[in-house]
Amino acid sequence: MKRTSRLTGLIGIVASAALALTACGGGGGGSSSNGGSAGPGAKAQQGGTLQVLANAAFSHLDPARGFDGGVNNFYRLVYRTLTTQGAAPGADGTKIVPDLATDTGKTTDGGKTWTFTLKDGLFFETGAPITSADVKWGVSRAWDPEIGIGSPYAKQLIEAPASYQGPYKSGELSTIDTPDAKTIVFHLKKPFADFGSVVAQNTFSPVPKGQGAGNALDSKPIASGPYKVAEYKPGASLKLVRNDKWDKKTDDVRTANPDVFQWTFGLDPATIDERMIAGQGTDANAIAGTVQAASVARIQTPQLKQRTMTGSNGCTTYMGLNSTKKPLDNVKVRQAINLAINKQTVRDADGGSALAEIGTSIQPPTITGRVDYDPYPSPDHKGDVDGARKLLTEAGFGNEFTMTLDTRAQPKMQAMAVAIQQALEPLKITVKINTIDTATYYEVIGTTSQQHDAAITGWCPDWPSGATFLPPLFDGRNITPKGNTNLSQLNDPGVNAKIDEIAKLTDVAAANKAYGELDKQIMELAPVVPLVYEKVLMLIGSNIGGAYLHDGFSGGIDLVSVGLKDAGK
Amino acid sequence: MTTGPTLAEVEEVGPAAPPAGPPASGKRLLTTITRDKGALACLVFLGIVVLMAIAAPLITKLSGWGPYAFDSAAINSDLGGLPHGALGGISGSHWFGVEPQNGRDLFARIVYGARVSITISLSATLLTGILGVVLGMLAGFYRGWVDQVISRVMDFLMAFPALIFMIAILSSLPSGNRPVLLVVVISAFGWPYLARVIRGQTMTLANREFVEAARASGAKDTQVVFREILPNLRGSIVVMTTLAIPGYIGTEAGLSFLGVGVAPPTASWGQMIASSVSWYSVDPMFFAIPGAFLFLTVLSLTVLGDKIRSGIDQGEAA
Amino acid sequence: MIRYVLGRLGGVVLILLAVCLFTYLIFFKLSPDPAVMICGKTCTPDRIDSIRNVLGLNQPLLTQFWEFLRGIFAGREYGSVHCSAPCLGYSFQTNESVWSMITARLPVSITVAVGAAVLWLLAGVIGGLVSAVKQGTWWDRTAMALALGGVSVPNYVLALVLQYVLVVKLQILPFPSAVSFVDNPIVWFESYLMPWVVLAVGYACLYARLTRSNVIDTLSENYFRTARAKGLSSSLTMRRHALRPALTPITTIFGMDFAGLLGGALITETVFGLNGIGKMAADSIAKNDQPVIMAVTLLAAFFVVIGNVVVDLLYTALDPRVRVVSA
Repeated sequence: MKRTSRLTGLIGIVASAALALTACGGGGGGSSSNGGSAGPGAKAQQGGTLQVLANAAFSHLDPARGFDGGVNNFYRLVYRTLTTQGAAPGADGTKIVPDLATDTGKTTDGGKTWTFTLKDGLFFETGAPITSADVKWGVSRAWDPEIGIGSPYAKQLIEAPASYQGPYKSGELSTIDTPDAKTIVFHLKKPFADFGSVVAQNTFSPVPKGQGAGNALDSKPIASGPYKVAEYKPGASLKLVRNDKWDKKTDDVRTANPDVFQWTFGLDPATIDERMIAGQGTDANAIAGTVQAASVARIQTPQLKQRTMTGSNGCTTYMGLNSTKKPLDNVKVRQAINLAINKQTVRDADGGSALAEIGTSIQPPTITGRVDYDPYPSPDHKGDVDGARKLLTEAGFGNEFTMTLDTRAQPKMQAMAVAIQQALEPLKITVKINTIDTATYYEVIGTTSQQHDAAITGWCPDWPSGATFLPPLFDGRNITPKGNTNLSQLNDPGVNAKIDEIAKLTDVAAANKAYGELDKQIMELAPVVPLVYEKVLMLIGSNIGGAYLHDGFSGGIDLVSVGLKDAGK
Repeated sequence: MTTGPTLAEVEEVGPAAPPAGPPASGKRLLTTITRDKGALACLVFLGIVVLMAIAAPLITKLSGWGPYAFDSAAINSDLGGLPHGALGGISGSHWFGVEPQNGRDLFARIVYGARVSITISLSATLLTGILGVVLGMLAGFYRGWVDQVISRVMDFLMAFPALIFMIAILSSLPSGNRPVLLVVVISAFGWPYLARVIRGQTMTLANREFVEAARASGAKDTQVVFREILPNLRGSIVVMTTLAIPGYIGTEAGLSFLGVGVAPPTASWGQMIASSVSWYSVDPMFFAIPGAFLFLTVLSLTVLGDKIRSGIDQGEAA
Repeated sequence: MIRYVLGRLGGVVLILLAVCLFTYLIFFKLSPDPAVMICGKTCTPDRIDSIRNVLGLNQPLLTQFWEFLRGIFAGREYGSVHCSAPCLGYSFQTNESVWSMITARLPVSITVAVGAAVLWLLAGVIGGLVSAVKQGTWWDRTAMALALGGVSVPNYVLALVLQYVLVVKLQILPFPSAVSFVDNPIVWFESYLMPWVVLAVGYACLYARLTRSNVIDTLSENYFRTARAKGLSSSLTMRRHALRPALTPITTIFGMDFAGLLGGALITETVFGLNGIGKMAADSIAKNDQPVIMAVTLLAAFFVVIGNVVVDLLYTALDPRVRVVSA
């Protein structure tokens, strides 16, 4: 007999673990509310091990590299910055308070030069004191082309030689002064009134001078906060234990309840939900991210509702309409599409009313000064096909046309794309769905030559003001061939002028109000279709206390305050 | 990767088969199958699936819902999009219930999904068959450097972790025409298994008296190949291809399950099973229906393939 | 014999090189620019260029391929990142060398693979033997019908059915998690039970069918009848004259199947959320993390090619009849 061979029967598979990436550019702001009763809010004790169940691992442990709501929240456990956001629910959470510095910064020349003084008694986990030189070293890493891929604000605002490439390649940065071990002075390119908020960004974490080259901090951070990394298995687990060199007396923000934080990564989202619902054993001491749509029906019991927290994640999911492509260059066509989209089906595709609110304006509800209005109304938000058809006929596009919709290779995004496709079908608009892998999605749609007619994406503000929302998305002078965020490529003189006008306002409240009006002005041009405002909906273990959703971290549970009700369990 | 029906057993048929006698006639094969109750049931089920696939637009006209139409009224938005009613929303208007989160009709999607499964697996079988037979015969008939080149390519392709590679290629290719891509990728990694058998048998056949006799009487290469060799390979080709079809149906469903198969909104059984994964504890029917169709189709084809094989074996032994 | 072995090994190296080059070419063309990945969300064109320079992405393809090959034996640098030998690449999405990603997940994959292999060998061979001996009985017919069903059920379907019934409904088993044997042997066993069964079913059914037909063939062969006629006891003839020749082909197929297991484990590990190499491959494909996909492809090819050689050698050693022919 001859050796037998096989035709490989390729029945294969994977529950394609949905990548839970949000479309956010940064740690979003936004307000959130505790849905639960006394349960989640109950006091936490010091001690114990808090478990975190997660699907996706942290992008980076290096504070100069990571920049999203998830890591920003985590970084506060390990790193301290000159200032930081408050530790409280609601608006108090987004207020800037001193952290390493004694105050939120002093300026003598109207905001061009800023001086910060470090508190006494600050130490790294190594026992070495934290000096102004260490803060400077940490900040200057933002200029390193390989390392400084996180928060862009330091590079954008602080004066530096054009050729500067970070401390490892170009040596120390000459434009940040450290007259003594406690004082650090920043010179900005131009005055910036809110620099006190900027130094709360991750990039302002101290790194011991001379250290942190390459990816050293990604595997072993050097802690300045209340916890240090005890064990890190990338993609699998992360264990934080107390950093005994951190002195509670120097820190008004962090309660730092548990003795140990234990992350488990790479868990299937459905498995996380199952475990959180069951809440057995150590899972009673666990927190996790937003539940799957399929789990919503299962958490309606009174017992589970007590363990539920919900709020807004502070972002807007929208469809950008490329105004340089025909026939989307015609404002009536864009308005017709806005009118025709059935937002109810889009919201259902995104998880239903428990996981998303219907979006009508560009700015999400959490933005200060935002006006609640619906420029393209229809009964129950189901879309006004007749009205849309009329607009299309007026514009001369009553006959059929085809448009290509870019979407991320992620089940939820594809489901939304299909809902849009379905909603436009009665108008004889054929929507071709172009799926792009998640890793390069933003790169592709941000390259004007590769962008198609429309794209589904999202935007989160870096702080809850229209300033971090409307100008980056609609300022026509910001359109760049690569890394473009103005997806509609709208370049409207009226909008541009208004943006400049608001930027000159010194009164923050007046500016926010003006952004609310600008929102309306832009939506008349219909460059985007606001789809939904996503919500967070999470279950916490029965022994979790001190939990609240933090506005600054895309509605995540504030890690510096959460703990166990009974640390002995 | 061999978790599906494999052809481990097939090669035994091949080289050992004395191809001198005429292969079992199709007629006798059919009688054997129709006499076996199990095989008959399989045949009937496959008939239904094929009919569904062919008449999909007609059937959905009767059932009232197309495969893409949303039905928001059939789902509960406040419960994450769970279908209203028991058994995943099975009702007079939605015979198999609806898909959570959008209310698309499952019956229509099963019917249209059958189209995808059958078209892709049959096309892949055809392409694999042509490639395998042509290249296998070339290698076996001409030997020498032709054989060397083809055999090395086969070794090379068989060394590939086909499943991983197919997923990787499909996930990085632009959406384009998915069904065609699927057929090409599946066939590219499938043909060597058939070609190997064909090559071996062609080599044996080429040395037999009747082939040498034909050559001696001045027949051209093409005549020898088409008149003398090919007819004698018929049995092996039929057996290998019938056993390959269920494998390809499984492969297509598997790739769609992994998210690299046909693009949305096209319905496919594998893709339906993939989206049902997170729902199975609250809406088990969403998983059970496409799962059952996929399983029964693969099972029926495997059973029938098995019967055909033993039918041909007996025919040859007789 | 030595010449034969050396010749085969030479062929192996060539095939692996070809697989390497082919994989590299394909991914080079298809995969997203690694510079873009490293560059992150706040990327600028200047930064992409400087990253490309640092990584040598501006160099010609063949130079890069050579660097990749060299890295496997000598290690290499990616900018300021060092990747020590054997460097199969560096994932800029997880910030780890691919080799350390693989070694970290190897124990889980080995546990899944070995457990399933033991299960399917036992179930398949014993089931097939019994069926052959009791050929034609109800046992034989039931077992063979089940085997047909078993080869037809896609393993992800089986996995979900088992999980629904055993974990969600009956709550007999926990959700599988990669618990180490040392920490808790009971939970370890319970966790891996479903993955083992799911991975093993297809093979077990196939092996049962093969064993059965092989044993039946041998039982009807002349030398077997001669042995019996010479008066050897029936259990001895079974063992010496029927089992060995009937199981030789099983051994060889097993070698190949085991070597090719990485692909099957991909499905099983992912459905059950076990962090092995298969799940890593699936995750990397979802994220389009090219260095990882490429390394897993190469690793899998390596196993298949080596498996082939081992099988050939084993076969030569086991079956006296083919020794001359295959040499």
